[in-house]
Amino acid sequence: MKIFSLCFALILAGANLAHAQTAAAPAAAPAGLYAALGEKAGIDRLADDFVERLLRHPRIGPQFKDTKPAAFKESLAEQFCALSGGPCSYQGADMREVHADLDINKGDFNALVEVLQRAMDAQGIPFFQQNRLLALLAPMHRDVITVH
Amino acid sequence: MNWKSLTLLAGLACAPALAQAETGKLVLTGGVSSITGTAGGGITPWAVIGSNATEGEWGASAFTTRAVTHDYALTSYGAALGWNERVELSVARQDFDASAAVALNGIAAFGVQPGQHIRMDVLGLKVRVAGDAILDADTWMPQIAVGLEHKRVRPGSLQSVFDFLGADTQSTDFYVSATKLVLDKGLLLNATLRSTRANQNGLLGFGSAAPGRGSRSLQPEFSVAWLLRHDLAIGAEWRFKPDNLQATGRAAGLGAALREDAWRDLFIAWAPSKSLSLTLAWADLGRIVPGITGGRRQSGAYLSAQVAF
Repeated sequence: MKIFSLCFALILAGANLAHAQTAAAPAAAPAGLYAALGEKAGIDRLADDFVERLLRHPRIGPQFKDTKPAAFKESLAEQFCALSGGPCSYQGADMREVHADLDINKGDFNALVEVLQRAMDAQGIPFFQQNRLLALLAPMHRDVITVH
Repeated sequence: MNWKSLTLLAGLACAPALAQAETGKLVLTGGVSSITGTAGGGITPWAVIGSNATEGEWGASAFTTRAVTHDYALTSYGAALGWNERVELSVARQDFDASAAVALNGIAAFGVQPGQHIRMDVLGLKVRVAGDAILDADTWMPQIAVGLEHKRVRPGSLQSVFDFLGADTQSTDFYVSATKLVLDKGLLLNATLRSTRANQNGLLGFGSAAPGRGSRSLQPEFSVAWLLRHDLAIGAEWRFKPDNLQATGRAAGLGAALREDAWRDLFIAWAPSKSLSLTLAWADLGRIVPGITGGRRQSGAYLSAQVAF
């Protein structure tokens, strides 16, 4: 029984390693981040709360007046899930195209980051794990910020 | 309440009016105010531009700092303007309690007054030339800035000692800083390289007569900070400094009485709100004129408050 468990563990480890090596090329998801975000259910709750907070935000809320909340939540959840190494593929629109017609400056982008931080706080996601997700999202400022 | 406090309060009161109504930098990412007024750690500039202003905005900050060591004390206060995360203009006034220097009268008839303070004004300019320390989390490219600090020191009755040492009363430091937040680790790293003639940051003048060093030298400065929460960071700094005066003192038969050491500190910075930060540190300023202070290292507490808009 013990030997069987050991073999099973080794096979799993080997499979994980092989998977990690193939996935590493463009942007390897940080290990354990998907679990830390509460997997798909946790990410859905996060996206839900995040969008609600964005819509209420005095500075950047008006930017989302033409956005359909349900579709936005679903798209964000897919994106967070895929970025964090979950079993999702992000099918949403290209980040640059989606933001091209909006006037978004760096202050707006930073305000959005702060809203996401508060939403992650509300979900009880540890600060260290928050930063791992933010590190994947922050470089998108190049596509999102349209006003310099 | 003295005029200095009044000036500071006036500065604090004006800061919100000077800054735009809504500024959008992430909390703590503008650093705190260093003792020379520029944004950075406590004793070294960073490549970040001060105030809460980000691109397309302008903002302001004001600070006051008090550091007390075994034999000396330093009060510093000042303000900075930041524009577009590109340019920072800063002013600071320092008041250094050099009462211990009255012992210099035992070496020669310098005429140092009891309770002498050394005062220094610092005018700073910093320009960000490349990079984004915070958002470019997928590259190692840091934010890079170049800056200058023009310093004028008023030594009062210690002018005779400055004359004896051949130390000037004004000079300009030039520096380049590189700052990077390793976002997924919550780790902020800074390295600064400074060209300077300053003795003890300028409080003991600039340069020295031969055989001491009168010319510029390049000095590295390092900071590391670890973000524990959105509003809380701990860290350490190490600032190398020239030792311009020691050789002059040795030639005058004073041994290592004028030796100068690196400065270093351990700090904790807390931002209870987006516009207020408090920094508490333990600072070790090394030996400062050890010939009159029993060779003691000057370590002690450092407390700083900053408002930023």
